[in-house]
Amino acid sequence: MASHFSGALQLTDLDDFIGPSQDCIKPIKIEKKLGKAAAKIKIEDDGNYFQVNQDGSAQKLEKAKITLNDCLACSGCVTSAESVLITQQSHEELYKVLKHNQAAESDQQKLVVVSVSPQSRASLAARFHLSIVDTAKKLTAFLKKIGVHYVFDTTFARNFSLLESQREFVQRFQRQNEERAALPMLASACPGWICYAEKTHGQSILPYISTTRSPQQVMGALIKDYFAKQQRVLPECIYHVSVMPCYDKKLEASRPDFFIKESETREVDCVITTGEVLRMLEEEGVSLSDVAPASLDSIFNVALEQELQSHSGGGSGGYLEHIFRHAAKELFGIPVEEIKYKPLKNKDFQEVMLEQDGKILLQFALAYGFRNIQNLVQKLKRGKCPYHYVEVMACPSGCLNGGGQIRADGEASKDLLQRVEMLYDTIRNAMPEQNSSVGELYEQWLNGPGSKKAEKMLYTEYHAVEKMSAGFNIKW
Amino acid sequence: MKDSLTLLSRLSAHPDSRCWFLAWNPTGTLLASCGGDRTIRIWGKEGDSWVCKSVLGEGHQRTVRKVAWSPCGNYLASASFDATTCIWKKKQTQFECVTTLEGHENEVKSVSWAPSGNLLATCSRDKSVWVWEVDEEDEYECVSVLNSHTQDVKHVVWHPNQELLASASYDDTVKLYREEEDDWVCTATLEGHESTVWSLAFDKSGEQLATCSDDNTVRIWRQYKLGNEQGVVCSGSDPSWKCICILSGFHTRTIYDVSWSHLTGSLATACGDDAIRVFEEDTCSDPQQPSFSMTAHMSRAHSQDVNCVVWHPKEEGLLASCSDDGEIAFWQYQRLE
Repeated sequence: MASHFSGALQLTDLDDFIGPSQDCIKPIKIEKKLGKAAAKIKIEDDGNYFQVNQDGSAQKLEKAKITLNDCLACSGCVTSAESVLITQQSHEELYKVLKHNQAAESDQQKLVVVSVSPQSRASLAARFHLSIVDTAKKLTAFLKKIGVHYVFDTTFARNFSLLESQREFVQRFQRQNEERAALPMLASACPGWICYAEKTHGQSILPYISTTRSPQQVMGALIKDYFAKQQRVLPECIYHVSVMPCYDKKLEASRPDFFIKESETREVDCVITTGEVLRMLEEEGVSLSDVAPASLDSIFNVALEQELQSHSGGGSGGYLEHIFRHAAKELFGIPVEEIKYKPLKNKDFQEVMLEQDGKILLQFALAYGFRNIQNLVQKLKRGKCPYHYVEVMACPSGCLNGGGQIRADGEASKDLLQRVEMLYDTIRNAMPEQNSSVGELYEQWLNGPGSKKAEKMLYTEYHAVEKMSAGFNIKW
Repeated sequence: MKDSLTLLSRLSAHPDSRCWFLAWNPTGTLLASCGGDRTIRIWGKEGDSWVCKSVLGEGHQRTVRKVAWSPCGNYLASASFDATTCIWKKKQTQFECVTTLEGHENEVKSVSWAPSGNLLATCSRDKSVWVWEVDEEDEYECVSVLNSHTQDVKHVVWHPNQELLASASYDDTVKLYREEEDDWVCTATLEGHESTVWSLAFDKSGEQLATCSDDNTVRIWRQYKLGNEQGVVCSGSDPSWKCICILSGFHTRTIYDVSWSHLTGSLATACGDDAIRVFEEDTCSDPQQPSFSMTAHMSRAHSQDVNCVVWHPKEEGLLASCSDDGEIAFWQYQRLE
């Protein structure tokens, strides 16, 4: 079965040429019993493990359940953990919670919140030949019909990611002479890229990565902190699902950094891909086109406008453009009207420059797909990277082409991607600075920009994974 | 029959280690060898004997698995189990490591230069095949990472005159790739071998491909272009590759390497049974269903597995081989009349 993960993650998977044990380092759970001498373990032809007791009897050993946390902390495979993803993060899990809610007393029920990414909405719109707004309204109606309480848009959370990325960049730029790893700043929204950097490059790359949270994880903080308080429920009583264009987002949601210890809950409990939403529709026997639209929810109490908004700068979030404009103005007092991309080696590697009197003030790039990430990383390691900021995404063509998006059905995938991109661009772009709800939330929820609370809710950390050294890596 | 392959000389190339692979430079004046001792050695002929001209010892931390000369003969690329590929520049008689290509997750198994000299391919146990582009300043950039194989990729080789790349894998298949728009795509998967495909070689025209495997067979594949007279179905505009001959029953163990002479059309194989064999296409065989005969069989060519055989690019019948015994042997093959 072909892997669903982005190319970067596929490559970190070790192969099983030397020994099948490399598939996973913790395959067997042994119940230790007191007073027993060492037991023999026998492996049957079908791969089952049996513990052979001293009296000759044998008992089948249970396979250990591997959590995504185990996977993230291990330098071995990631992709053969797909079965783990299926048991821990899938639309089946969402169904389980919805089913539980139907049977449980009202005080035992969970408040189910679904946050939908704009990339997923565009993919669904293309599939059902609907407008983005209709898709949003129909999807909201469908989810509510199966028992979801609130449906939000992660674009709202992206306002925070963009604003904080802008702020972080300006700060890094200003301290570039004191701190070697201040620049280039590398984008942090793509979990495939983060996972690859942590597992393969560690400290030689991690300090360059922006510490600003991705929209999914800002949404997680918003829902489990702000929204929980607003609804007067405990964070663990909310089941928060995100709909994402990408399988790697499941790994992101599982990171210990996004686990709220005090309430033993994840900020995002479950991530389902756009493709899984399609499967849910199919399983319910529903075509999205036939669903009667519902009005959209707004996370901020004052339902100002119901209109969907987007951000300029493409389907991967527009980080480069927002930071570029902000930095040009903030650092050099230059207002930037139009941003001109210069394609370099290929369409997934483009450059943007701010020049004045023949001097380069800002040099930004976007690098999508593993090959371009590779060249970027090698340049960086050799001290030959000329950029101040790079919007890095693991998937070729970026997030609209994510591995979790709906696959083409009788249509060339290139054509489908083009339709998804066109649909995505139909939504009016707005500046995050001009969103009054965001501004009010900074004051009400975060005690203003740059506060301790803002730091906690909007930033994260990265952890280098130590390479496995023992056992399997036979040196010859 | 045995007389058709004569030993010319034998030398201990990588003492107390394995000799993994050999490569002639384009003019055939130098032979590069690599081995488990982490070194690359360059051999040249002085009088009648082959002598070591230089030892490239400072490039790799682990086994050097394969080496490849650039078409201009001024560069040598080496693929190592240390996950890197080194590019060595020839400066008179010495070689200097000018670039180390990093990126593969683990063991690099093979490296090959495209006929233009502007592209390089590498493959690895990480299951991927990478295409690199070389610019005028000896800077290398990765232009594609191909994840088509599901297992360890053993060997990569370019078509003799087109930008078509072939790879052989532990997943029992061979895959072919070409450039499309600004990326590379897999255009064909050759299925048929029942175990690991260890190596492959194009014939002079590039119309045919020989592959060798752990299933103890060599398979010959022929390219059929869209609208071919034989009616072989092509999907899309890419040619289709069809297995037209299987050499089975000759080898008793894994066949590690195959070399197709571009001068004579003879096929030589390196086998885990310590033997070297040579095959010739029968004179009146049908090109669409050719038959081959074994014309030479040197049963104890080496004292251990033969890892590599390679025909000299300019001298008819001159064959070099190397083995787990650390030795290189030179052979003269005499075509039977």
